[in-house]
Parts: sequence; C-alpha cells; structure tokens
Amino acid sequence: MIEKALKGNRSYWIWTVFLVALIASGLSAYYQQRWFGLTVTGMGRDASRGMYTVQFTFFIGVAASVVMVFLRQQKELTETVIVALFMAASAALMSMLFVVADMGKPDRLLNIIFYPNPRSPVFWEFLFLSGYLATTIIAGWAMLGAEKKGVQPPEWVKLLIYLSILLAFGILAATALIYSCLPDLNFWLTAVLATRFIASAVAAGMALLILVTLALKKTTGIDTGKEGREKLAMIATYAGAAHILLLVVQLFTPFYSNVPLIWFALIIGFVSVILLLLPSSKKSEPLFAGACAALVLSLLIEKSTGLLIGGELVPVPLASIVAYVPTSTELFIAAGIWSLGALLFTALLKVVVSVKMEHVG
Amino acid sequence: MEVMMKSRKLLWLVTFAAFSIVVALYVFRNGEAELSQKPLARVSAIDSTKCIAPKEFMRANHMQVLQGWERSVVREGDRVHIASNGSRFQKSLGTCLGCHNNRLFCYNCHSYANVKPKCWNCHLSPMETP
Amino acid sequence: MMNEQRREFIKKTTLGVFAGLGAASGLVPAFSLEKTALPVWDEKPVPGKIRWGMLIDTRKCKEDCQQCIAACHHEHNVPAFKNRREEIRWIWKNSYRNVFPTADIAGVSKEIQNRTFISLCNHCADSPCTQICPTGATFKRWDGIVEIDYHRCIGCRFCMPACPYGSLSFNWEDPRTEIVDPVTAYPTRQQGVVEKCNFCSNRLVKGLLPACVEACPEQALVFGDLNDPRSDIRMLLESNVTMQRKPELGTKPSVFYII
Repeated sequence: MIEKALKGNRSYWIWTVFLVALIASGLSAYYQQRWFGLTVTGMGRDASRGMYTVQFTFFIGVAASVVMVFLRQQKELTETVIVALFMAASAALMSMLFVVADMGKPDRLLNIIFYPNPRSPVFWEFLFLSGYLATTIIAGWAMLGAEKKGVQPPEWVKLLIYLSILLAFGILAATALIYSCLPDLNFWLTAVLATRFIASAVAAGMALLILVTLALKKTTGIDTGKEGREKLAMIATYAGAAHILLLVVQLFTPFYSNVPLIWFALIIGFVSVILLLLPSSKKSEPLFAGACAALVLSLLIEKSTGLLIGGELVPVPLASIVAYVPTSTELFIAAGIWSLGALLFTALLKVVVSVKMEHVG
Repeated sequence: MEVMMKSRKLLWLVTFAAFSIVVALYVFRNGEAELSQKPLARVSAIDSTKCIAPKEFMRANHMQVLQGWERSVVREGDRVHIASNGSRFQKSLGTCLGCHNNRLFCYNCHSYANVKPKCWNCHLSPMETP
Repeated sequence: MMNEQRREFIKKTTLGVFAGLGAASGLVPAFSLEKTALPVWDEKPVPGKIRWGMLIDTRKCKEDCQQCIAACHHEHNVPAFKNRREEIRWIWKNSYRNVFPTADIAGVSKEIQNRTFISLCNHCADSPCTQICPTGATFKRWDGIVEIDYHRCIGCRFCMPACPYGSLSFNWEDPRTEIVDPVTAYPTRQQGVVEKCNFCSNRLVKGLLPACVEACPEQALVFGDLNDPRSDIRMLLESNVTMQRKPELGTKPSVFYII
C-alpha cells in the first residue's frame, strides 16, 4: 500500500520537497550539535531543560489524547479513527525524536532498555511511548488494509486499540510523574499538574485533529464528517475549559503569574473556548478552524513558558532568574523533527486518501 | 676483562639504586594521609609477570573481560580479579597497561582491524601518556 | 666503539631492570597510568555496612581559602569552564542564603550570613537523582556513595533538576579542552555526560581520605562512617548541633554542617 504515497499531484510534491528540505537542514544542525555538544543550544547549568523538553511534552500530550477518539466509539467518529491513529503515531515519533535530540549521548539510547531502572518514570515513559508508537501504527495500517479490501478489520486490531488506550494513560501519568519527581521545583510539585496535563493534552490533540481533517477536506475532498468534527470540538472545548480553570487556580500560587506570556496564553485560550461554544462557529468553517488554531497556540505557549520557565527558572538559581533563549541550531533541529513528523503523517494520510478514493471512484 | 667486571659492578650498583628508589617510593606511598579509622592502607603489590588469562583467550575476549571488570568494579565494588592459577590482579586498565607497556600495544591491532574503542574518550590512552 | 656499545648496553639493561622492578611492584609502570596495586578493600563489599558521611565545621572555614576546591578539582580532572552556563563543579562555596534557603534566617547573625559555606553532593540516603535516572547510571553504592557510572550515562539530564542542591554538572562540550593541570591517575569525563562529586571513592579504595578533607588547612572537614558509632564523625555529630541542607525534602543527606 505504501507505494500510494509515491504518487501525487504537484502540490503534494512541493509540500514533500519542502518538508525534506527542512529535515535536511535539521539534520545538518543536529550534526553540529553532535560534534560540538549541547553547548550549541541555549541551555546551561541553570536551565538544563529547554525547547526540546517543551516540544516533547506537547507532542506526548497530542499523541496520547487521541485515544479520546477510540474511547468514544460513536458512529460519527468511525471515519476519523484511522486519521487519529496515524496522528498519534506521528506525534509519538516526534516526541521520541525530541527525547533523542535532548540527549548528550544518543548513541547510548538503548541503555534505557539494557539497564532499565524500574523506579524511574523516564524509563516507563520511554517504554510506553515506543509501545504506543508501535500499536497505533500497526492498528492504523491493519484498519486501512481492511478498508482497502472492503472487509471489517480483524479482531486483534480492537485489542491493539485497547492496549494503546492503556499505554496513552501510562504516558500521561509518567510525564506528570517525571515533572513531579523533581522535589525542589515547587511549581511542578503540585497534585493539579497531572490532571492539567491530561486536560491540556486532550484539548490540544482534539483541536489539532480537527485542523487536520479540515485540511484533508480542503485539499483532497475526503471528508471525515462534520458531525465527527463537532464531537471532537465538544471534547476539545470541555478539556480546554478544564485546563483554563486549573491554570487559573495555579496562577494564584506565588510567582506563577509573573511568567511571561502566560496571561496572553490564558486569554487566547479563553477566547478560543468561548468561540467553540458559540453556535455561529459551527456554521463558519474559517471561524471554527481559527478557534482550534488559537487553542493549540495557547496550549503551546502555556507549555513552553508556563511549565518550563515557571517550573525551572524561578526556584533553582535562588533569586537569580536566568533567561533561556533557544539558539538557531535548536530551532532548526526542532523544525526538522516537526517536518519529519509531518512527512510521516502526510505519507500515511496520502495512503488513506488513495484507498478512500479507490472506493469513491 | 677488567672492563667487563667494572660494567657488571656498575650494573649491580644501578640495580641496587633502582631497588632503593622503589622501596623509597613504597614508603612514601604509605606516608600519605590515611583514614583515621580501620582498615588502614595495606596496598599489596601485583605480580604482573603472570597473565590473567591465556593469550589466545585474551586476543578474542579482552573487550568482554574489560567490560566485565568495569561493571563489577563500578557497580559492585568487586575489584580483585583472581586468575585461574590463583594470582590476584586489580581490575583496572592500568593493570593491563602496566605490563603491556608498549605505547602502541592497543593502537597497532585496533588500527589494523579498524576498531575504534571508546575507552580513551575518558581514560588516558597510552598514546597520550607523558 | 667498544665504549659506546657498552654504554648502550648498560643503559638498556638498567632501564630494563628498573622498568621490570617498577612494573613488578606496581609502583612505576613504564608510563605512569592509574596505579596498579591491590586496593585496601579487596574483598567484595557488603551492601549497607558502611555509610560514608562528612561533617563541615563552617566556623573553621576561611572565607578566601579555596584549597579544598583546588585539590578536588585537580584530583578529578574537573574542567575549569569560566562561563556560568557551562560551569562544572564538584565542590564549591556559596552563601548561607543559597546553601540553606529554607532555613530560618531570623535568628542568624550577620557574621553567619556573610560566611561562605562549602557545598558538594550530599550523597543522600534517599536520593532523587538516582530515582529519576532511567538507566541507573546515577546509582547508590554499597557504601552510601551516590556515584555516576560514566560508562552508562546517556546524558538525559533529568537528574539535574531532580537534585535540590544543584550538585550535578553536565558536560555541554568536550571537557578535555579546559582541564588546567591534568592528572594521569584519574580519568576525565567526555562530552555529553553528567558528573559530580564521588566522595573520592577513588581515594577511599586506596585507604586515603577524600582530597578536600586532606587539603583543608583548618581541618574543618571530617569524614567517616556514619554507621560506625565509634567513628570520629559520629562522636562529633553527637556532641554538636548540626544542620543538613533542606531536610524537609526528606532526602536524608550524608553531609552535615556545624554552624
């Protein structure tokens, strides 16, 4: 089936070449980082975590949240499941790549498997994430194969999906545990954190999924269904509202409200949730897409500044706040990983579209 | 004949001097600060004239031996290797290189086999020793 | 002609004898690498029998003295990166506010607030860094020392924010370029691994005290077995009021301070 990804129109190839170019520049930046060490990033002894960690956390949330689609086994969402599975796989791959990019000795990556420390949430995170990547991509591929033959997917696909739901909750729990395992970081040492992680992850994941299905409809004419999107929007709205509530609660803790851009993130998040609640957004597609994009942006900002700066930069250096600014090398590597994820997702969606086209045509 | 005798005397003299330097060094070593608690330093000399294993075995398995040493020393504190003939060695790269003291001992073979061991990323390579 | 040959012969044989003797005694290898002599603790250690600890008498510590830091950093080939971002430190000095940020400051005299305090890895009994390490590269040894296995560290740096005392340093670039006066008896680290104080486990095994303890001209540092009720450190702990850093976090540090 994969050969279907090698056929496409002009704009498909322009998009692919664009992504490949970004991947190439990311690889050359990564080569530089391997050669000179992580000194080429903006991180340092006071800000030992940076952009890679933020992206890793964000995409882990996106990947795991997609299980909401499988959990609510409704008719409106059946068309969305394959797209959701492949989005989960691409996001899981991206967060794994961000972990690798963050490592000082990536050539020793497999030490996590050879010498596991079962007390470490980082180990569990890695285990669950790789399991999740495997289950989602295998399940998605099997469902696609069944659709091509026009038969029901085999029973074990259902089992795999149930397994991936378990793994997704494991991933979210492990991520929150990692952050709350750091005893000196007062802002991360909160019971709200894990809950807020799940809420923000679900909101961001659903909003992204809506954007992807809209893009799919616009570029290929394959529509996974308006009702499906509205269901997703409903989940995103509830999760977004829960996230905003928890964030506001946390803003009452000292210092957190001084984090740069946090108010901006909060306001656009609030606006996007209100927009999604309005009935007029259901009628106007651009407004709907805009609201979803604003929600994703709000969560990305909150993750990068709120979590990282709020958690890291205030308490550790004890009254001396050191600003962390990502370097261009970091940005290029991040762009490369984004592009790699996007390329995988594009190729998988291309196969999905081709299979669906065959049935239509 | 007389010259030969003289040189032999000189040889003995130098050997004796070398021996006394070694003894002096040994005494000096013990003179360094020690733990006030027991056990006190009782550093015993190694016998590096013996091999830890037959040459053929080492040629094929030295990396496993070194990795095993590294693991047991760092993780378990088991620092003494007991060879099959009963002689004891400190598990250390220095033990190997104290006897195989040709600077090119590792390099020659590794460069021939195009092997790039990562030992010298941290440990001092015999190529770099003063 | 004859003379020259003979001289050459003598040179070779004497050097050979010297080197042979040296190598046989393990004292003078042909080139000086790590020392090769059987260690003091040559039997396999019993886990949990010993718990090494340190007591720092801050009253004796002189403000402008840096001898413990110099000795430690020299002993372990710690690179001297100048910029704060890449700084690597095993032992360092800090103010009262930074060493005991959560301690009550109201009843503390001006003199104490202005004193410098030695900070190093606390070798906690309940260490967060070993808990979060995914590969067990940072691990708790049989003798209570929290050691980093530089062969295993993957450089994920999760231990750095996990440590409440800022004891871990990451090698952001190749450390070998910045080692001022390298020693051959201890390895260096490499780019991409985390490093920290090892309580001089490399010296302990030879029956020597830690380098900082030995270097201190005021004998402000006392080192010993916290599990041995007759050790100097235990007696001093019993006869003095001491402090630990951030005890409220429950990490149970093995480093104590007399204020």
